[in-house]
Amino acid sequence: MKSNRTAVSLVVVSAAVGALFAGTSTYDFIQHLDRQVHAITCTYVPGLGAADASGASGCFAVMMSPYAAVWRTSTWGGIPIALPALAVFIYLAFKAIDVLWRRREDDPAETRYLLAATALPLLTSIAYFFISVLVVGVVCKLCAGVYVASVAAFVAALVAHRRTPAPQGALPWGRDLGQFAVGVAFVAVPVLLYLGLKPDVRGELGRCGKLLRPQDTYSTRVKLHSAEGGTPAIEVLDPLCPACKGVHDRLHATGLMDGIDLEAALFPLDKECNWMLGESVHPGACAVSEAVLCAGARANDVVTWAFDHQSELREAAAKEPASVRVKVTQAFPDLAGCVDRPEVKARLNKALRWTVANSLPISTPQLYVRGNRLCDEDTDLGLEYTLTQVIGPMAAATPQKPAGGSRKSAPTPPPLPSPQGVAEPDAALAPPAPAADAVPPGGEPAAEPTAAPAGAGEPAAKPAEEKLPPPADNAAAAPSDDQQPGGGETNPGAAGHEVTP
Amino acid sequence: MKPSTIQVVCTVAGLALAALLVGVWVHGAAARVEATRATPAEKTAAVAAAADEGYCTAELKKILKRVLTSCGLVHRDRGRGCQPLEAKSVAAMSGNDFNALFRPLAKRAGIVQFDLDKAELDDAGRTLLDQTFSDQRGASYFLVVSRASPEGSMTHNRALSEQRAEAVLGYLKDKYHDPDLEQEVGLLWLGEEYAQLDQEFSQWNRSRAGAACTSAELNRSAFLAWIDCRL
Repeated sequence: MKSNRTAVSLVVVSAAVGALFAGTSTYDFIQHLDRQVHAITCTYVPGLGAADASGASGCFAVMMSPYAAVWRTSTWGGIPIALPALAVFIYLAFKAIDVLWRRREDDPAETRYLLAATALPLLTSIAYFFISVLVVGVVCKLCAGVYVASVAAFVAALVAHRRTPAPQGALPWGRDLGQFAVGVAFVAVPVLLYLGLKPDVRGELGRCGKLLRPQDTYSTRVKLHSAEGGTPAIEVLDPLCPACKGVHDRLHATGLMDGIDLEAALFPLDKECNWMLGESVHPGACAVSEAVLCAGARANDVVTWAFDHQSELREAAAKEPASVRVKVTQAFPDLAGCVDRPEVKARLNKALRWTVANSLPISTPQLYVRGNRLCDEDTDLGLEYTLTQVIGPMAAATPQKPAGGSRKSAPTPPPLPSPQGVAEPDAALAPPAPAADAVPPGGEPAAEPTAAPAGAGEPAAKPAEEKLPPPADNAAAAPSDDQQPGGGETNPGAAGHEVTP
Repeated sequence: MKPSTIQVVCTVAGLALAALLVGVWVHGAAARVEATRATPAEKTAAVAAAADEGYCTAELKKILKRVLTSCGLVHRDRGRGCQPLEAKSVAAMSGNDFNALFRPLAKRAGIVQFDLDKAELDDAGRTLLDQTFSDQRGASYFLVVSRASPEGSMTHNRALSEQRAEAVLGYLKDKYHDPDLEQEVGLLWLGEEYAQLDQEFSQWNRSRAGAACTSAELNRSAFLAWIDCRL
């Protein structure tokens, strides 16, 4: 019988180990409730090894996945699955200690209950292991610790139960139900405490900036997802930015896309086209962005392809930036005649100048809903809740404005943004409205003398300016064939945000 | 200790541990949120802005501002249309000093050449114009400084250089249909009378790069450059 005591002791140890892993995961999750950036633990031995601050680890990908928490649309971040896991392991540990302390390790009723109780984390671990591998595409180290602890606890309980004699008499269902109720309390109390104490962030959603000039005068934004009557949203992205892929993937995993009309505003962090950078964060991103603009109605295909092949493209660009241009035209041969043309470069430049006109932070990704920027923390753990709020209750309380940013929702575009953008508030140099309509026809002398030195001699005859046609989509010669993007490697979505060095 | 007491002790201890951990962690996060609300962190992220390169000297900006003003780009209430500036009064400096202001643009600028007494762009000129114009980057203004070689009268050459500047603008309008042109392109025609390009500029990016280039040929031209300056 001494060996059975060992088996139950192993249940205690396994449950304690499980609690350590689940507790670490819970702690990391709860840390993020303060809406700040935190490194997370991603190691097989919690407490040892460097924390992941980059957002590149599997633990981060899993934590940001929709499977890491429940009720994400109801409360900011949701309730982390690791929290009830922690509670269950603590319950198991104390239950097994209770059995040992009372010296009931040979009682078949006790060991049977322990076996049933350890089956819960075992079944949950099996389910989450398959979700992690098959759906999320990565297994986080902390999760692996939980899986191993669950299996160990169940095996130890199984061994203990098999060594006990067959039960005599009726099963103590009443006592088992009582113990089960205690187990439920072990889960309910921490969860209620979590919900009761967690900060209320409703007042801070969508308050991280707004678009000053959301109109897409030059058709530089591309449609990523159409939803009839949906809330207009703009994702400011770099097609080679892992964090952009992360947000993009999470956005589509929210299940809320039916209510969102999503456009992409290209902001490649590549100094080949982006003058705001001292050095390229993602070499080759300009070439991919040109392809996105060239693709017209199929822009989403190119964005998806770029996201699917990010690792490959970034590696190629690190060796030779020009190789990205080759790869993108190999993947989309019909765009070869468009990428690199002056017109598309000019259009990409307009896309970048749109970020200047709106004084956007030099950072990707950024997500704007109805023209209001969602804070970075609201695009990772809080994405579902924030979106639910901004397209639901908050939207209902706020009059809908065209400033949401959709081309369709901007009936009367305001004067064009200043070339120097709103960051340059020099009123004396504020640009005029487009002057085509203001110029008298017939070659009259131009307007009165200005602050510049007066010209000598005759005023120059100003040729009548033709009425300008509407902005043409010069570069978007959308090919007609329906090439699909290639399949790609699984790339865990990192949720960090790319900022210029 | 009674078995029932042990059960209660284990239950209470386990519950307390779970509650304590969660309570402390969540309370800590809530306290940090409150602290952040009390003292919001200053925004540190750089903001997207037009370029303002080191070569944007006060003199260059002054000239740029005068040209833009003369073209009606600076005041909202006026239509576009460049006033003729007396070339020498564009800048209170010698022609050489004027040209020197643009030397930092050697990699950025293009010189579109024209035939004698002509103001029509040829294919090479259009190509160079496309190349130069599409390389806007963060520049806010596209400056076109056109000239004429000394043959002919001063008045004729002034008109000719104006036509060359207008030819550039007309091409850009036709090709790009860009309303921003109205706010970005500044024209300055110098005729033959001021800041003629010297032979040094023949090494710059010219539309007739393969051909020999005399001083006269070099000045039958429009000098194009995006200016990476904010005013």
